[in-house]
Amino acid sequence: MEKPVLIRNGKRNDGRGVMDLRPLKITAGVLKKADGSAMIEWGKNKILAAVYGPREAFPKHMANPNRANVNCKYSMAPFSSLEEHGRSGPNRRAIEIGKVAKHVFENAILTNQFPKTQIDISIEVLQSDGGTRIAGITAAAVALADAGIPMRDLVQGVSVGKVDGVLVVDVDKPEDNYGTSDIPVIVSLRSNEILLFQLDGMLSKKEVETALDYSFETAKTVRELQIEALKNKYVLEESGA
Amino acid sequence: MAEISVPGDVLFEDPRRIDGGYVLGNKTIASVICVKSEDRAVPLKGKYLPIIDDYVVGIVSDQRFSGYTIDLNSPYAGQLSTRESRESFKIGDVVSCLIQEVDEVNEPMLIEPRKLYGGRLMEIESVKVPRVIGRNSSMVSMIEKYANTKLFVGKNGRIYIREGNVALAMEAILKIQREAHTGGLTDRVQAFLESEAQKIKE
Repeated sequence: MEKPVLIRNGKRNDGRGVMDLRPLKITAGVLKKADGSAMIEWGKNKILAAVYGPREAFPKHMANPNRANVNCKYSMAPFSSLEEHGRSGPNRRAIEIGKVAKHVFENAILTNQFPKTQIDISIEVLQSDGGTRIAGITAAAVALADAGIPMRDLVQGVSVGKVDGVLVVDVDKPEDNYGTSDIPVIVSLRSNEILLFQLDGMLSKKEVETALDYSFETAKTVRELQIEALKNKYVLEESGA
Repeated sequence: MAEISVPGDVLFEDPRRIDGGYVLGNKTIASVICVKSEDRAVPLKGKYLPIIDDYVVGIVSDQRFSGYTIDLNSPYAGQLSTRESRESFKIGDVVSCLIQEVDEVNEPMLIEPRKLYGGRLMEIESVKVPRVIGRNSSMVSMIEKYANTKLFVGKNGRIYIREGNVALAMEAILKIQREAHTGGLTDRVQAFLESEAQKIKE
């Protein structure tokens, strides 16, 4: 396919400005059997996150007497995008995303409070349109809070990309495919720490700095929606009394 | 004014060691989702962690020569020595126990086992147990009075109900669990129990 024009008169291909996010909606507590769960609808992305535990570590020889093990599984449903996915188990990309998500949550969860246990997080992408790892981790953070697992902070993220020579926030599928680079970033706004930073493509040092400023700035909006999702769950229960 | 705090929110401006919070710099930060009112923060959710001197309701999950493993609705299973009782238990038996000791990896030793039978077992969130018990166990005695039942409330969120109107007692407890974070609960539960008891009379 030929490369489409991604930025026209300062507007992006779907009509957004440079700093605009796609429509974002988070719902907490969607799965009954999980200890905590969340569903995120971010643009055309639809992702479910479920949390089980802390529970007895399995296999038992993996149990750590100092802290809980965090297991994280990311998977894309076979019908989630135009290409085929997941017909023969997790692929290289899914294993990688599961691993980076695991490192994010190992640093966010207060694992030392639950020795010899494990916490299982699974992120299921039902429909994808670019930026699923960020959306998945953002949903999983809500699911962890919903499960009552102690964390240092509710983590969230926004990806930043370079499209037609301009830095833009929250890249979607066409921008990801035909842009020059993209950076998924997960941040903790309480301590201003970066928990995940991946870079695809080429950027100058100055551009990386601007990109980080952009993601910290827009992550505030995402955080507010996460908090709203959690509060809605409990307020609804109250009025349903 | 009570409000809901999420992980990362500032709970108090001074450092405090509390459940559901941690200290960063000179402030107390929430680590779990909790209800914050004036000078208190009460967690809304979380698994039960064994604490010394808690009475718990467990289910026998394994039997060995020297003792039993008791499931406590918690990430940590309890150990009960056969020396603690002349009675023997079978896998699946419901027992009430006292936590005698908890080691450095949160694993509890149990004593004073008593087999519970002839009733029904229900599970609720362990963080809601203090509300079910009430101040000086006022809530428990109210449910016992109206439903004419006997309750054994384990700190791990398991409740054993015997005799009388078990269904009414369970409904009241589920109502308490749903509305645990709201104010004026005792009056509402009393009204609920009274109206239900009235219906039964009619």
